[in-house]
Amino acid sequence: MAMTGIAAWVELQIHAEEFKGAHLKDLFEQDAKRFETFSFSYDKYLLDLSKQRINQQTLNNLIDLARQQELPSWIERLFNADKVNDSEQRAALHMALRQPKGASLQHEGKDVVSDVQASLAKMQILVEQIQNAQWRGYDGRPISSVVNIGVGGSSLGPLMVCDALEKYAPADTVTLDVHFVSSMDGSELEKLLPKLDPATTLFIVASKTFTTVDTLANANTAREWLLAASKQPVELINQHHFIAATASPSAAESWGVPISHQLLLWDWVGGRYSLWSVIGMPIALKVGMAQFRELLQGAHQMDKHFRQAPLASNLPVLLGLMGVWNINFLGIHAHAILPYDGRLAQFPAYLEQLEMESNGKSVNRDGQRIAYRTCPVLWGQVGSNAQHAFYQLLHQGTEPVMCDFITPAVRYDGEGDELQKQHQLSLANCLAQSRLLALGDSREPESDGASKFKHYDGNQPSTTLMLDALTPETLGGLIALYEHKVFVQSVIWQINPFDQWGVEQGKKVATSLLTQLGSGLGDGLDASTDGLLRHIQQQTRGAGQ
Amino acid sequence: MRINVYGGGLSAWVAAACLAKVGNDVVIDEMAGQQQLALGELSVIGDEPGLLPLIKQQITAGRLVRRQRDVHIGTTIHWLALQPSEKLIAERVVGALSDSGVTGLLVINQCNFAVGATQELQVDLATTGDMVYVPDNLQEGMALRDFLQPKRIILGLDNDEALVKTRSLFRPFTVNLDALQLMSSREAEFTKFAITGMLAIRLGYINELANLADLLKVDISVVQEGMGSDPRVGPHYLSAGCGFGGQNFDAYVSTFSSILQQQRDGSLLKAAVDENEQQKELLFRKFWQHYHGDIQGKVVAIWGASFKPGTASIDNAPSLKIIDALISQGVKVRVHDPEALAKLQQYYLNEPLICYANSPLDAVMGADALLLVTEWPEYWSPDYAQLLGRMRHPLIIDGRNIFDKAMLQQYGFSYLGVGR
Repeated sequence: MAMTGIAAWVELQIHAEEFKGAHLKDLFEQDAKRFETFSFSYDKYLLDLSKQRINQQTLNNLIDLARQQELPSWIERLFNADKVNDSEQRAALHMALRQPKGASLQHEGKDVVSDVQASLAKMQILVEQIQNAQWRGYDGRPISSVVNIGVGGSSLGPLMVCDALEKYAPADTVTLDVHFVSSMDGSELEKLLPKLDPATTLFIVASKTFTTVDTLANANTAREWLLAASKQPVELINQHHFIAATASPSAAESWGVPISHQLLLWDWVGGRYSLWSVIGMPIALKVGMAQFRELLQGAHQMDKHFRQAPLASNLPVLLGLMGVWNINFLGIHAHAILPYDGRLAQFPAYLEQLEMESNGKSVNRDGQRIAYRTCPVLWGQVGSNAQHAFYQLLHQGTEPVMCDFITPAVRYDGEGDELQKQHQLSLANCLAQSRLLALGDSREPESDGASKFKHYDGNQPSTTLMLDALTPETLGGLIALYEHKVFVQSVIWQINPFDQWGVEQGKKVATSLLTQLGSGLGDGLDASTDGLLRHIQQQTRGAGQ
Repeated sequence: MRINVYGGGLSAWVAAACLAKVGNDVVIDEMAGQQQLALGELSVIGDEPGLLPLIKQQITAGRLVRRQRDVHIGTTIHWLALQPSEKLIAERVVGALSDSGVTGLLVINQCNFAVGATQELQVDLATTGDMVYVPDNLQEGMALRDFLQPKRIILGLDNDEALVKTRSLFRPFTVNLDALQLMSSREAEFTKFAITGMLAIRLGYINELANLADLLKVDISVVQEGMGSDPRVGPHYLSAGCGFGGQNFDAYVSTFSSILQQQRDGSLLKAAVDENEQQKELLFRKFWQHYHGDIQGKVVAIWGASFKPGTASIDNAPSLKIIDALISQGVKVRVHDPEALAKLQQYYLNEPLICYANSPLDAVMGADALLLVTEWPEYWSPDYAQLLGRMRHPLIIDGRNIFDKAMLQQYGFSYLGVGR
């Protein structure tokens, strides 16, 4: 389906045609107040869009587009627990997970906020027991290592946040080793288990359905390891070494986790939106429940902003519309996420899932194929490291790329001169790179007469997102900002961001191939798969001799 | 002589009382701010046998006076007996003495701050007088005897002129003396820490052997005797048990181990300290293992809560770690101690899972296990038949190896010791 029926879309196409030749260096030359016009502040966040290839007309047209796509009413539907996930007939209520105590949200005749708070309260009891060194392993010693077994949303979010907030670990409780294991081939467990003491290791099995093959394979391996080391009966091991975070209590119970050690989430929490729920237990273990609640509070503030702020000063809306402009009107199909803060090293991987699993779709809500682009290829790395890797392509390649530069303004407050200098160094690089990408070498004094090899075209657009400082609160806000940005784009593109049918079929094919791997019969397969299967069998037989 | 003692801990009160007892005029300044508690309310005094009567006696005789928050200039002998954490207070006292412009002062330093601390204070004191470091040898529960009739005294001085005054100050306490050793203040400070660390390591080692003996089915008490009879090893500080506690021992060892940590090669003592913390939970673990982790709702009797017999102090006592672990698992605790129950009640204010028993036999009513934590004399020979009759499950976990295993088993008890 085309967007030709939408006036604002057509307007934007005409505007883009006129505007395509404009270079960022000229836009900056023409308007000395460009930063004031195109940067937006809310609370502890600054969103600078002045290095995007836009003018006031662009922004006006984009906001018209948002209105014509009924974004404000979609936002209300989202917050009112409507079934915005229409292909699965579910609401998407991750915002309810960060509502403060005492708030309420009705969903199917039930107040979900009180359920959420009850689940968090149960998690808090377990977290405190573990942090106070009073959760005991099979020989009576307290647990000192925790391994989260989960994949996708049950891993990426908690892993990213634990990594980012490491320094907020409370000083007055035991320091826990928190590890993450996800790959189905067992590589991570194989490396990790020899370093752990089974008697003092606790596993969190995080799976919404408790049927995820990857996760259960790892959980079974972990349990075998405990049984072999402890020589204890399986009931005792299940009781003292496993916690489940799941929406399927009966499945978790039949695997072996007692109900008293299960933490509940619900089917209205999407996996990639679940770090705010009991899936976030590793975060609470690492930084303490108080800081975990700060994280929720920061996200909640961003929710309020998204729901209440006018479109023209609404950070998630603006960020989302910027993407739409770049993708659909300027023809940019690659998006680099570049945090200038090593604590956000996992943030690009986290966004890969959030954005590409949500909006990587080509059928609209009515089930029709769409004739415009949606989510771009998105990747990234800590910016200062990526400078030594793929920035060459950003500066001199043939591919247009939009970039998000993310950095805290202040870091290492009161932590010594050398570290503060390192932060200054990082900031200088962050600003230098976005400047060079935008302006090219036109402003650099030594560029005149340089060879073609040393020339920088510039005109690569970027957004700079600056936090006052990276804290549990601002990290919560940052994540919520991107969650809502993804929703904004889905509304413009008329797609459902909350399902993920594209990850299902592969699982089924794998299940049938598993049988064929075992039996050696590759009947009915394509020639390539059949050939690979036969090669594996030859090698396996060879190795067995 | 006129002596000012500074400090509010056990060593300060013992020094003040004993110095007064031999005829000195002593002023004790507890450095405790505005609040001065009545003597009876000071637990450091109450916990130490014989100390309170001696202090009262000396106050009545007029030789001991309590005073607050000012440095007393007219006196020529000053005695610092502060906690390891109170170095700033020591600096303040010495600074005031130095500012007074008086000369010929003698300042005895009994505080365990760090190696070199006495020299640093000497710099502050400047020409006003001499600092001498005299490590205390107090063992809680026997502190008066240790002060009044020491076997050995170490004097750490950096200046020969101070020796005469110091000797005369200590003369009344040298009746039983085997050795008076002179060394520099740094050497004396190091010696004090070295002794404490050595004892901690010995205890850590025997406990490690005991845990190994459990696995190898060997009786550690037999091994202990064999080791102790070797003159190179000797019998002291060689009893396996469920960990050591106490205010001083713990604080000194921790201070010393953190000094070693700064050098990044103090792993031996640090390991001993960490292991000791784990050892304090040993009886809980034995109980847990016996019942395969299924202990919620069970009843446990505890005999002995003070960190050792003969004191009401529960500072860093193993009993605290055991009780914490038990109540966290929903186990009911019935505890008896001849002296420390009031302290314990204060520590676990309004904890519904703890019941304070009037007698050892009262404590074991309906118990699924008896944990002997502190070896008070009255626990050594109980009425076994009564004990057996009152317990729900006759399991005895002996944290100090005081019971005869074979006899208990004859009575029908299950017995678990430390390494036997």
